[in-house]
Amino acid sequence: MRALATTVGALACALALAVGATGATKADPGVGATTIKIGGTVPLSGVASAYRAVAVGAAAYFKYWNDTNGGVNKRKIEYVYLDDAYDPSKTVEQTRRLIQEEQVFAVFNSLGTEHNLAVRPLLNQAKVPQVFVASGALSFGRDYRSNPWTIGFLPTYVAEGTIYGKYLRATKPKSKIAVLYQDDDYGKELIRGLKKGLAGRGRIVAQQGYDVAASDVNSQVARLKSSRANVFMVFATPKFAIQAFIQANKLGWRPQMFVNQVSSASNVMKIIQSSAAPLASNALSIGFVKDPTDPRFKKDPAIKLYNRVMAKYAPGADVKDVYHVYAMAVAREFINALAHAGNPPTRAALMRAVTHMNDKKNPFLYPGVTVKTTPQARFPISQAQVIRWRGGHWNAVGKLVSARG
Amino acid sequence: MRRLGGLWELIVAAALVPVAFLVPHLVGDFRLFQLATVAVYFVAILGLAILTGWSGQISLGHGAFMAIGAYTSAILVFHHQWTDWLTIPVAGVVAGVAGLLMGIPALRLSGLYLALVTFALAVSVPSLIKKWESQTGGSSGLFLNLHSNAWLYRTTWIVAAILYVAAWLMLRGKFGRALRAVRDSEIAAASSGINLALVKTVAFGISAFYAGVAGSLLAITAAYVNPNSFPVTLSIYLLVGLVVGSLGGLLPLLLGAAFIEYVQVYASKLAPEKPGLPTLVFGAALILAVFAVSAIRPLVDRWHTVREQRGPAAVEET
Repeated sequence: MRALATTVGALACALALAVGATGATKADPGVGATTIKIGGTVPLSGVASAYRAVAVGAAAYFKYWNDTNGGVNKRKIEYVYLDDAYDPSKTVEQTRRLIQEEQVFAVFNSLGTEHNLAVRPLLNQAKVPQVFVASGALSFGRDYRSNPWTIGFLPTYVAEGTIYGKYLRATKPKSKIAVLYQDDDYGKELIRGLKKGLAGRGRIVAQQGYDVAASDVNSQVARLKSSRANVFMVFATPKFAIQAFIQANKLGWRPQMFVNQVSSASNVMKIIQSSAAPLASNALSIGFVKDPTDPRFKKDPAIKLYNRVMAKYAPGADVKDVYHVYAMAVAREFINALAHAGNPPTRAALMRAVTHMNDKKNPFLYPGVTVKTTPQARFPISQAQVIRWRGGHWNAVGKLVSARG
Repeated sequence: MRRLGGLWELIVAAALVPVAFLVPHLVGDFRLFQLATVAVYFVAILGLAILTGWSGQISLGHGAFMAIGAYTSAILVFHHQWTDWLTIPVAGVVAGVAGLLMGIPALRLSGLYLALVTFALAVSVPSLIKKWESQTGGSSGLFLNLHSNAWLYRTTWIVAAILYVAAWLMLRGKFGRALRAVRDSEIAAASSGINLALVKTVAFGISAFYAGVAGSLLAITAAYVNPNSFPVTLSIYLLVGLVVGSLGGLLPLLLGAAFIEYVQVYASKLAPEKPGLPTLVFGAALILAVFAVSAIRPLVDRWHTVREQRGPAAVEET
């Protein structure tokens, strides 16, 4: 009896060793013979559900790519995006679901600054790539030493603010500036960039923060108006940006308007134009993604492709929403990186690929914008274009400018 | 809600204990994390049941007490290097004191007015958190230690079990009777020698203690706190959980906790492409659940009545 037990025990040990040995060469989670599974979180419900487009557009592009090119290295990309209702605690739960239950290869294109901060320790500890974070917070590109598995995508908010500051320093060095900002990291990083770009020229005479849960920004705008500023920077998400324009117009204030990139989609600007026309015309912003409603890109092959992909793979979604184009830009870069992440791909190789990008031809971005990274410079898009709203659409002002740091 | 399940309830609860030990061997790793979240909601709803179910005071602000508890834990762990689970009672006490303070104005208000004041608390706390940025980390939030799902499951359910038994004992005794008396008729309660002010304030304090512990557990499970994790909807969801779980006694509140966790998740899974649909599905599920509860409640009550008529052992109220 005892001998039998010993034999069984020995066999079990041998079996365990054998399993362990094959386990070592096993592919990374999410990599199948004909599929590769990735995932991300996005608000599908709640106050920020408009950002769903950032996932919907990417999903449509992956489906298109799977159908026309058979995926990447014959593996079809399966993209699972889950709702976090814009609540960081839910982001944590859903991200755990992605890595523990769905067993995704990488977390891709998750949206929101705090939301990505919340899961960064978890993903880095588990060595799961957190790629192309949909937030312009500086930390995702800068803090790679402590978070080697994380990389952003957008120009940072600091860089955007810097561009506005530099533009004012060059064109209106004596301006008096009023700033409306969202009272969180996103708003504050824009202000930090603005100050950096101004470099002492031009004065910020008033700044007013609003809470993301606030119902309106009317009192803030009234206080800013009383500062007699001649430049008004709106660092706010679309709903509040629209309110700011309308309220400033109602008060008869006529400053030079700046609207941050987050709210500069043409469909948002058209709303602003219909109710605050004098302020909308000549408003300034930055751009780097082709806007599907911009007449400049009407005959652009990428926008034509975009319209075809949307019609086929995301019927019912609003094709005028520029976030869908952004989503395709980021999906395309992911496909590029995955193609360079080995066959079968590994998580480590994916991180190598996303930190060695040099794509001059992303069709969804403005001509001339290069997606470029090195292990020490993890800001994939670091160029942008100053744009001016005139005649119902955005127009380029000057050349592409650097949007680094 | 109006009846305390009595001894049979505790027996059912005891029967669930071995199940709780078996679960980690039966379900996947991630399910344990979800169950830990259910425990968090359960503790918060227990607190709300003490206040709203037993003493009849409505609170739309329990998310705020959860936030206070969560930040107490997070600050102790992040700035003062405490071991996270040791902060759980401290978080409860801090939130409990806040609840006592809230209970004082609540004495002068009732019904809708009280609901509005507590709602104001839920609205203002996330902004207040951002004010003390040096301590709370502002909108960037604070980080806590990461734990395995199994650890989180064990910790949250041990705490939930302790607080469940405590609530059961408390509500069965003199204090519970006083609470119910206050709820049913303040005048009658006062004339039988109950100190109305004391009972109502203490109920607020105890209820907030539970919410504070739940907040602390939420911070520990998410390993992160942020003002946006305590939206007004959290307070409303807790009330939803309370209503869905109000089949009499404390144990059915588990259903309410499971409802807010699972229905939210699956509603959003149903139709991710359609804007607004997840919210709509959640609403529809809520209406169905409330109908179900109101259909089942009379049966439960009837069963209680029959039992009371049969045996003198049942010492249930009214």
